Amino acid sequence: MIIRMAKVEIVGPKQDLLNTLDLLHDRGIFQPDPQLLERIKLAREDHLQALVLDENNLHERSFFQGLFERITQLLALLPEASEDIPPLQPLPVMDLLDELVDKHLLSARETVSQLTDCHTEIDDLQRDLVFWQALTPLLGDLPEDSNLEIFGVTIRDAYQLQALEDLLQKLTQGRCHISSTTTADGTLVGLIATDCETSGPLRQALTEEHVPELSLPEELADLPLPKRILALQERLDLLQANAHGLEAELRDLDVQWRPIYRRALDWLAERLTLYRATATAYTTQLCFLIQGWMAENGVSDLRNDLNQTFLGRVVLEQQAILDEEVERVPVMLRNPGYFAPFEVLSRLLPLPKYSSYDPTPMIGIFFPVFFGMILGDVGYGMILLLIALFLAKLYQPQHLASDLGKILGVAALYTLFFGVLYGEFFGDLGEAWLGLHPLWFDRGKDVLPMAVFALTVGVVHILLGITLGALADLRRHKPRLALVKLATLLSVLLLVLAVVGYFYPQSWLKTGPLLIGVGILLPVLIAAEGLLAPLELLKTMGNIISYIRIMAIGFSSVLLAMVANRLGGVTGDVMVGILVAGILHAFNLLLGVFAPTVHSLRLHYVEFFSKFLDLGGRRFDPWQKRSP
Amino acid sequence: MEKVWIAFAAALAIGLPAIATAWAQSRIGAAGAGTLAEKPELTGVIIILVAIPETMVILGFVVAAMILLM
Repeated sequence: MIIRMAKVEIVGPKQDLLNTLDLLHDRGIFQPDPQLLERIKLAREDHLQALVLDENNLHERSFFQGLFERITQLLALLPEASEDIPPLQPLPVMDLLDELVDKHLLSARETVSQLTDCHTEIDDLQRDLVFWQALTPLLGDLPEDSNLEIFGVTIRDAYQLQALEDLLQKLTQGRCHISSTTTADGTLVGLIATDCETSGPLRQALTEEHVPELSLPEELADLPLPKRILALQERLDLLQANAHGLEAELRDLDVQWRPIYRRALDWLAERLTLYRATATAYTTQLCFLIQGWMAENGVSDLRNDLNQTFLGRVVLEQQAILDEEVERVPVMLRNPGYFAPFEVLSRLLPLPKYSSYDPTPMIGIFFPVFFGMILGDVGYGMILLLIALFLAKLYQPQHLASDLGKILGVAALYTLFFGVLYGEFFGDLGEAWLGLHPLWFDRGKDVLPMAVFALTVGVVHILLGITLGALADLRRHKPRLALVKLATLLSVLLLVLAVVGYFYPQSWLKTGPLLIGVGILLPVLIAAEGLLAPLELLKTMGNIISYIRIMAIGFSSVLLAMVANRLGGVTGDVMVGILVAGILHAFNLLLGVFAPTVHSLRLHYVEFFSKFLDLGGRRFDPWQKRSP
Repeated sequence: MEKVWIAFAAALAIGLPAIATAWAQSRIGAAGAGTLAEKPELTGVIIILVAIPETMVILGFVVAAMILLM
């Protein structure tokens, strides 16, 4: 249900503003609405004005903002080794933290910069090492000549290797040797050996052909190849040791200081929120004034709190909600035990407006019934009940899966109930094995009665929706709209009775007078709603026909179950038959959960709720403290 | 021969709406997939939207069943 809200005005001396905001923030039950005050401002603009902070408060806010930003920067640099937050009161140590944070920020920035350089070099060296290690075996292929220049290249693919070989042959007239291999990560690399005279033009040609040469740090470039690898490895070890040292340094800083800074940051965030909240207050020369919303049942408690804390200096007054303010009232939904899990389904819709209805109880009442009507099978119902119990037992009460389990449990009970009425146990298996007989409809045969039943459900559901819509209009003080809805309701009822009278003639049910009744009501509807009124009436009739899906999906489910049983029976082998029937029933059950869920929800969201629900409400979002 | 026509009528009654539903669902599904990439919280709404054109095939199924069984 939608919780009743109260519009409240809080007034007090200017010097108590921050403390009042702090108390409201602490209680977490009040949502300020400065737009409400704009109306008062217009009326009494000589006296009321938006609050401007004095010099001290401005200075304090600027100091807290700066400190907040620096602590945020520092924490972003640290590795999150510790998350314990001590019960520290940060205000007395803010000046100390202001000095310390600069020192720590400088040190952390320097360390992180060194660490980044270290990691960049480690990555480069590791990549080089992989290449050079792969190239080492190729050294044996090279001719023994001290005048040789050797360099490695990475090659895109076998085609580029072929093109490279041709290029080298052309450039050096055969005074060059290239070998290739694949590294551990799959990259194709090549080792080129040539004499010193041709190495220059060769390098130039490789650059033009976009064949990257494997680079080395300058100090290693002059070493012979086997020594290069050794030197690379040594350099890598040294850098890794350095990186570990720097990481340990950052970790120590984090373990020692993060909890304190984290606590300070939370406190600063709250404090800055308070300063921002002052923008919602208006002031006169001596007083402040805040207006906003809260749950009506919390008004007296908050009034007492303010009285006790400020010794009567700050006053709370509940005011009447004006008609033009109803659209601004924030919405808070709260549903008792049985209905609470169904909020999962109503949350799929936008919030209803304050003057409308909470859709949750409607879904809680009708969704499981429709689900049961569609699936209606004792066997499937038992399996779903077991799954629901399992989900409810496995997950914590507030968990989404637990809520879904509870909804499934209720739906499974209705599935069992309708299963008994339809006499179905895994389709027609109950009739063959257990002698079950339908108490109401045999859905496999009574297609027309079942269709009439589904349409009757639709008529009742839609007429209930129109009635609720009329009541909502009355609550919004819009009697004309309510009357239009009642005229629509009457027209639909007359049309339905006319259809019934046509197909099932009764002496007391004359189609003609009923249609004349509709004809009389139509001009009224057109006068009230315009030329589209007849179309709306047709749409409503279409909405009712849409309920025939209750029969259609149920019928297809029965047929699938019967097919599963037949196919299981024709295999001629008990085990194979059970397997085939089991697989088909499992498939049918999967469809049997998905289809009734989606279509029951659709009947609510599209057909039923469109008759009375006014969506687009604002969520009640009170000030709340994040840290203790 | 009459049975053939009855079966053919039933097949048309469900086949044509099935094609129409499939076309509509493919369009809604594609748009829904794009929406979900940006707003995963709309999953439930998209499922409902995809289910909306199923009315056509459901009514087609009802008509086909009535043609065959009545």
